[in-house]
Amino acid sequence: MTNAIQVLILGVMLGGVYALMASGLTLIFGVMRIVNLAHPIMIIWGAFVAYWLFKLYGIDPLVSMPIAAAFMFLVGIVLYKLVYAKEAASAKYSEMTVLLTFAVALVMDGAVSTAFSNTQRVTSPPYATDAFIFGPIFIPTAQLYAGIVSIILVGGLFAFLQFTRTGYAIRATTQNRTAAQLLGVNVAFISLLTFAIGSALAGASGALVSFVFSFFPAKHWEWIAVLMSLVVLGGMGKLVGTIVGAFVLSIIAAFVGTYAGATWSTITFFLALFLILLIRPQGLFGDPIEGT
Amino acid sequence: MPELLEVHDVVAGYGNGPAILDGTSIKVRGGQIQCIIGPNGAGKSTLLKTICGNLPIRSGEVLLGGERIVGLQPHEILRKGICFVPQERALFPRMSVRENLRMGGYILDDRAELERRIDDVLERFPILRERAHQLASTMSGGQQQMLTMARTMIVRPKIVMLDEPSLGLAPKIVDQVYDIIKLLRDEGITILLIEQNALMGLKNADWGVVLDLGKTLFEGPAKEILADERIQELYLGRRSKAA
Repeated sequence: MTNAIQVLILGVMLGGVYALMASGLTLIFGVMRIVNLAHPIMIIWGAFVAYWLFKLYGIDPLVSMPIAAAFMFLVGIVLYKLVYAKEAASAKYSEMTVLLTFAVALVMDGAVSTAFSNTQRVTSPPYATDAFIFGPIFIPTAQLYAGIVSIILVGGLFAFLQFTRTGYAIRATTQNRTAAQLLGVNVAFISLLTFAIGSALAGASGALVSFVFSFFPAKHWEWIAVLMSLVVLGGMGKLVGTIVGAFVLSIIAAFVGTYAGATWSTITFFLALFLILLIRPQGLFGDPIEGT
Repeated sequence: MPELLEVHDVVAGYGNGPAILDGTSIKVRGGQIQCIIGPNGAGKSTLLKTICGNLPIRSGEVLLGGERIVGLQPHEILRKGICFVPQERALFPRMSVRENLRMGGYILDDRAELERRIDDVLERFPILRERAHQLASTMSGGQQQMLTMARTMIVRPKIVMLDEPSLGLAPKIVDQVYDIIKLLRDEGITILLIEQNALMGLKNADWGVVLDLGKTLFEGPAKEILADERIQELYLGRRSKAA
């Protein structure tokens, strides 16, 4: 029983991190219909920012997280202006962006692979190997910190979308682009801003991931599958759905990992993706798909 | 004295395509419900999109109260007092009634004033007040159209342009929608609407304009147009008795 509670807590912490990793992906898809296959490599970039700031200047990744986020915010603006803005009027925008983001992912992967080589790295702040012990329950400090910070950030994102004027504009643009424009929302600016915010979320989660998982540039190919499974499970572009999906699947994966062996835990995500596409392709929180 | 809205010799079209409006002129008198009728492809929707700045103008003039509004961004034209309601799905389905109204006042900078205006509007539409926290997508078609109309009142526009407000609604509901449109007019808001169902539009309008191939063919009091035999034969789908 205590073992189950511990697994549950670990699952929730991991779920928080995955929720943060996927939140930018789902936000960008929701507002702009961009399936951003380059999202996980952006997380890797964020992880590298935190890694080098720690390695060179000894800055704790929790402290350098805002720097990683700000850096990726700027990268997001440049990428959007350079690659995506021009195609925004195309009728096949979503389809095109799959290829475009794939290309961007290859380039960004190639850049960090060349610069830093494809070796395993992990940021190792002092608490990386610590653990909190509550009686029989044992929780690695790094996972606890990352989980809590992630949950706070996702909560902050949620509050921002729910209560601020810009948040209203982002939600309105997601739900009905034409109507938002007619009511005075500058949808071109909102698209740019959302892409930058999504990228900043990738950067922030990268800083956290850098001390929770070991990472290397090519690792993003593994993450895109996991993150897409969360986004599809929640219903493409639905933030609440993605967050619920992240917690549910992470908790299941934690139990599978504990009782069936760590090798089997990743398959939880792929199996869920497979089943959801088979049974409820619009996802848990999605609208029915047109034409079905 | 210029009319409230004047459109002079406007040329406009989509992308690099042919001009849908090729020298269209129309005048909108203040304080009335003005209905534009005409066959499919006459350029009715295009005209509204051009006026609200959603479609760039190739040449011509649009004057609001004598002031030139050509070339302004859609949100600037909205601030000047022209509010456009597109044909379908003008609402935000996963926002509540109140949130939809809040989006209606997105361009207002005074947030406290916005909340006051939302309360005013909800006061006037008890059905919406009861459902203030319900998601827009969970309401009936008629209630959604009511919310769409009510939402235009938030910015207190001079002109509300409606693209087929009765589309897809049951006849009884259409009557309710037109009651709301008349309520807007009685508030002093000028209505410019287009209707595929010309009979329906003219019955509820004060002034009618017949548009075909981007040209104004005829205009006059809605009652006269309804009674005009040529118009009836051509656009209202009634055969003249002489034929």
